[in-house]
Amino acid sequence: MIGGSSPVLQLGVRTATPLAILVGVYLFFAGHNAPGGGFAAGLVFGAVVTLRAIAGIQRPTHAMTLLSGGTLMVIVVAAIPLFFGEPLLDQAVGSIEVPLLGKVKSGSALPFDLGVSAIVVGLIIALLDGLGVGDITAKRPQSPDSSEVAS
Amino acid sequence: MSVSLLVAIAGLTGVGVYMITARSLSRIILGFSLLGHAAVLALLASGGPAGTPPLANQNDPSTIANPLPQALALTAIVISFGLTLFMLALAQRQQNLTGDDLVEDDLEDIRIARMATDDDDSETEGVES
Amino acid sequence: MTVDSFAEPWILWTLLVLHVVAIPLSALGARRDHRLGLGIAAIPPLLTTIWTVILLAGSAEPFTTELLWVEGLDVGFSFRTDSIALLMTLLVSGIGTLVLTYATGYFSSSSAQMPRMTASLLAFSTSMLGLVLADSIWTVFIFWEFTSITSFVLVGHKDVDASVRDAARRALMITGAGGLSLLGGLVILGSEAGTTSLSELEPITGGRGWIAALLILGGVATKSAQVPFHVWLPGAMKAPTPVSAYLHSATMVKAGVLLLAITGPAFVDVATWKWVGLALGITSMLWGGITSLRHRDAKLILAWGTISQLGLLVTLLSVGTAKATFAAISILFAHAIFKAALFAVVGEIDIRTGTRDIRELGGLHRTMPIATAVAVVSGLSMAGVPPLLGFAAKEAAVEAALKLSGIDALIVSTSIIGGSVITVAYTTRFLLGTFGAGPDTSVAPRRPGMTIATTILGLGSIVGYIAMGAVNNIVRPAAIEIDKKAEVYLLYRWPGLTTGFMVSLGIVAAGVVVGAFILNRVDQPAPEARGADMVDSGLDRFLAWAPQPIAAIQHGSLPVYLATMVLVALTATIPFASDIDVDTLVLWDSPFQGALALAIVVAALAGAFVSSRLGAALTLGAVGLGVSGIFVVHGAPDLALTQLVVETVIVVGFVLGLGHLARSFPAAHATWKSVRMAVSTILGVGVALALAASGSNPSGTPPIEELAEAAVDEGGGANIVNVILTDLRALDTLGEVVVLAVVAIGILALANTRETEANA
Repeated sequence: MIGGSSPVLQLGVRTATPLAILVGVYLFFAGHNAPGGGFAAGLVFGAVVTLRAIAGIQRPTHAMTLLSGGTLMVIVVAAIPLFFGEPLLDQAVGSIEVPLLGKVKSGSALPFDLGVSAIVVGLIIALLDGLGVGDITAKRPQSPDSSEVAS
Repeated sequence: MSVSLLVAIAGLTGVGVYMITARSLSRIILGFSLLGHAAVLALLASGGPAGTPPLANQNDPSTIANPLPQALALTAIVISFGLTLFMLALAQRQQNLTGDDLVEDDLEDIRIARMATDDDDSETEGVES
Repeated sequence: MTVDSFAEPWILWTLLVLHVVAIPLSALGARRDHRLGLGIAAIPPLLTTIWTVILLAGSAEPFTTELLWVEGLDVGFSFRTDSIALLMTLLVSGIGTLVLTYATGYFSSSSAQMPRMTASLLAFSTSMLGLVLADSIWTVFIFWEFTSITSFVLVGHKDVDASVRDAARRALMITGAGGLSLLGGLVILGSEAGTTSLSELEPITGGRGWIAALLILGGVATKSAQVPFHVWLPGAMKAPTPVSAYLHSATMVKAGVLLLAITGPAFVDVATWKWVGLALGITSMLWGGITSLRHRDAKLILAWGTISQLGLLVTLLSVGTAKATFAAISILFAHAIFKAALFAVVGEIDIRTGTRDIRELGGLHRTMPIATAVAVVSGLSMAGVPPLLGFAAKEAAVEAALKLSGIDALIVSTSIIGGSVITVAYTTRFLLGTFGAGPDTSVAPRRPGMTIATTILGLGSIVGYIAMGAVNNIVRPAAIEIDKKAEVYLLYRWPGLTTGFMVSLGIVAAGVVVGAFILNRVDQPAPEARGADMVDSGLDRFLAWAPQPIAAIQHGSLPVYLATMVLVALTATIPFASDIDVDTLVLWDSPFQGALALAIVVAALAGAFVSSRLGAALTLGAVGLGVSGIFVVHGAPDLALTQLVVETVIVVGFVLGLGHLARSFPAAHATWKSVRMAVSTILGVGVALALAASGSNPSGTPPIEELAEAAVDEGGGANIVNVILTDLRALDTLGEVVVLAVVAIGILALANTRETEANA
């Protein structure tokens, strides 16, 4: 696989992680009025996970949890309107105040998008697992935290 | 309809088909990706000319590009993404089994063909193998 | 309660559903006891018979009913209850009920095959019912094929016998091929006539009428066993006698004739229809009769007689005069009754004496009086002797033949009269040979089920004569349905001393003499089944040859399969090439678009020819970037964003997964490479042309402003694309994420197998 990672790479990834997560969160909330959305956000989160895996910082896990949780969430959001006599997947519109973005007029699309993001991240973790990327970190004897020093 | 888009679609389709008829699974995966691009562009092209981004709060509805094919295209991108990832995993597995990623001939089909031509002992052969 | 309260579509549907439901039930019943199974199977036909009698007796208003599947294409089931449909229903269900009763006696032991036999008999009855009631040509075709298949199963009942299997295969191949021919004919007929409904057919005038005529006649001739497609029918006599009586004399072989009658009015202006029909009919009538005279197996005598009678029906219907049509319908009705009775009697003789050879049979009038009486009555009805139903029908045919004028009249009337003489002759030979003098044959005890059914069938010919008014009420409207001018004709108990009657008298006299004369020459060898052998050896040769093309087609190379599929799919774009409107094409929406398109094509081509895997992955990334650029230019920022991230993940995955494989791709064969290049170039151009053509003919303007409004009002968002995805078309998105989840689970499963293998 990809060989052991350099401290510089690890440092870079560690620095980039919060920034990338911020971008993902922005995309997630912006999607309703501007380009973005649950899928794009999920991909960005997935990219973070990928980077951290390649750099050997964190072994990607919990694919099944994310997948099942995401699927459950989209299905619940889809089905709830049925109990109120509305058609499947009908939108409940409301307004939420989000810092920095201002008032986001949204409703049930938000949890729906959250489910989509979770599934996408789950898929990417599954792929990393399938391609054997997870083994990079697993092969190291040390715990992820001490790996920085060890290599 | 924009001829440029048509040229891009034709090129992507042609190269895509060329690649999926190759023996190497890596090439086939690339070919499928190209065909995915071609399909997405075809959706866009059939939806009408280019325009401003379909954001109702920023642009006038009379100038925006048709949003419906974009929504369809987004779905298409996602599905072809899933397909590509799955094929990558398949290729990875093939590689673990055989050390390579070549697509072999279908053994079952070859056996059927052989059974059909060696007429007499065909049935017993089929049972034995 | 009036009759019209029975002329309700729901009753028809209920009866059909009842048939279908009873099929498995009858099989279950037959596992316990074959009489129980047959009893269950007889219920739906019995109810249908009663319903039909009520409708016929009250002259109920005909109705049509349909269950559409694909609207606009008329794909679905549709049925009608006009007079001819009801007449056929009466025969199919009435005789069906009697045959099922008869079968309780015919099959003695509850063998392991009885469930199959019972269920197939009822399945056939259901298919036949659907066929005679069918209104749309599609419904006709579906049930037509069902009857072929159920007939195959029924003929092949004794499947341990190789000759039986051959006979069943022959019947299936010939009638199946005829079915395909029929489908072609019906499609052309439907498009020429502008309707798929049989009850709305109008005479067609188009230039392709003769093709439709030939194809439909192909179906008719195979199903109704017309020379030279008759070879399957004698072989089908290997089936148990209830099957022969029901399928191969009374109902299924009439399906062709019925179709000839129903579609005939559409072909009045098509000369091919008449002349080919006459040729088929006359040949079959004469050849069937002559061959019948040469056989010694009582069942085969009757089978060849059936071919002859069917030939007579085809001849009469092809002549096309109202009188001939009327006569054809009358004979169709009478023949179903007397021929079913005769078959039933032969089956009873077979079971009780163990032989059907007329040389070995004798003295049956003493040992089997009831069977003899039924056979004599039905035989005389077949020969056209009063006072029986067959007499009145035959009389109508002779009258019709004598009324003909023109050049064809001579041939047709001579043939019909000659055919009638032969009919009388083989009837005489059959009756004298089977029941006349001869060594006494030992006879097993009577079985009630058989006797009841044969007696009722035998009485049919007498009752039909006595109740001629009722028969007229059934037959006449059916004939009028086909030809309006038939309303002036009636069947008569006693026509008076007309020319026709004198001719009939002559026919009977000549026939009796010929029959008695030939009877004495029983040492002649029975004719060999040369036609059947030819068909069988042809099929065998075909089966021996078939592996070669199969081996060539099934070569196992996946790339070649793919290329073939692509080429075939490409043919679908050919029809569109002419629809391109050059004025709708522009060079580009903006120069950027043109540049990006060029860059994409170049990068893609580079990816195809670069030899290293990493290089190929990078060019893929470049293509993805280019496509994102086009999205930006097009006004699709969401797509651009998503495409960019997707492309990144894929390229990373590609490098991680496959990057460490041998760096270069394996070399491919040069010829194969150029074939692939040619195929892919053609396909690329074809797809572009098809797109350009579809773009030239927009079906309307896209509702962009409505979408924008709906996005803000209903979805509460300004990004229309995302509102479509999460609200307006959220179901698509739901499906899409489920696909992603399934893919992820698939990948995890693949990864897990790897671990298991590694551990093992």
